[in-house]
Amino acid sequence: MKRRTILVGGAAAGLAALAAGVAVFHSTSTAQRDGAALLDVVLPDPEGHDQALAQWRGKVLVVNFWATWCAPCREEMPQFVAAQAAQGAKGIQFVGIAVDQAAKVIEFSKQIGLNYPVLIGGFGAIELSKSLGNSLSALPFTVIIDRHGRVAQRHLGPLVQPELDRVLDGLLKRA
Amino acid sequence: MRPIAAAALIGMLAAWPAIPVVAQLAPGQPALLPPDQAFRLSARALDPSTLEVRFDIADGYYLYRDRLAFRVAPVPAGRVDLPPGKVKHDAFFGDVQTYRDAVVVRVPLARAGQAGERLTVHADSQGCADAGVCYPPNPQQVDIVVPAAGARPGDYVEASKRRGWFN
Repeated sequence: MKRRTILVGGAAAGLAALAAGVAVFHSTSTAQRDGAALLDVVLPDPEGHDQALAQWRGKVLVVNFWATWCAPCREEMPQFVAAQAAQGAKGIQFVGIAVDQAAKVIEFSKQIGLNYPVLIGGFGAIELSKSLGNSLSALPFTVIIDRHGRVAQRHLGPLVQPELDRVLDGLLKRA
Repeated sequence: MRPIAAAALIGMLAAWPAIPVVAQLAPGQPALLPPDQAFRLSARALDPSTLEVRFDIADGYYLYRDRLAFRVAPVPAGRVDLPPGKVKHDAFFGDVQTYRDAVVVRVPLARAGQAGERLTVHADSQGCADAGVCYPPNPQQVDIVVPAAGARPGDYVEASKRRGWFN
């Protein structure tokens, strides 16, 4: 009886290890795949010029899906402006993807003194965010890509201090 | 040994979908509702030329008044008067009106429908959760049948399963 317990326990432990291995592999490959998919994205800036996200490859890239019609989005953005100013030189790059029209984006950008690029995604950007895990299509939704192009963080809802700094500092240290 | 291994296994399986699932803002907070559940659309016919359309809004969620739009087919809708909402100051858009709990809207038809005729009400709405997220404009629809003249108002019919743009 005791022997059997140990056997079953051993089998369960083996299965757990296998599950852990598969789970780690799964999340690693998903992070790599989704990071690569996002870095492949090309969208126009508010002036209509195409911008490839790949130009920021190698940085800790904070991609924030937002819209002017989303009050919680607008409320978190001044913190991104501050973080970009304070940490940009260390290799942090914020990029906004607006589910919105260029005119509104330009107006709001001026209002808060936006110091990082915003690309115009329109409603198509919702689909992009869904493919990155935003199952509810809700905003704000933020994806952080590490220097190696892997998704390090996915966040629905405002990403505020001190969590924002904690996440960014962790990724900068990882180099 | 066995309980520990089983617990470990359960722990691993619980952690399994950690990547794609982000429908919760933070551990311990309630999961966010999909927009069709946060903003439940239903409609009924009051008489052959008047519909009543309502949104039942879950606790902690709100809809923007100026983002509501209704369309009826094949009999077109007449002019819709939206009830006043609660005024909320928005730093970018100025004063905006929002609805909570429920909003009931009377939708007159441009002409009377025929008894038994099927009408489709299309409603566009856009709302947010107090938890700090907003949903994109959400098209929903509900089919109702025109009652005979003089019949009592029909029962509310809930919106059919989602045929929206994003989900």
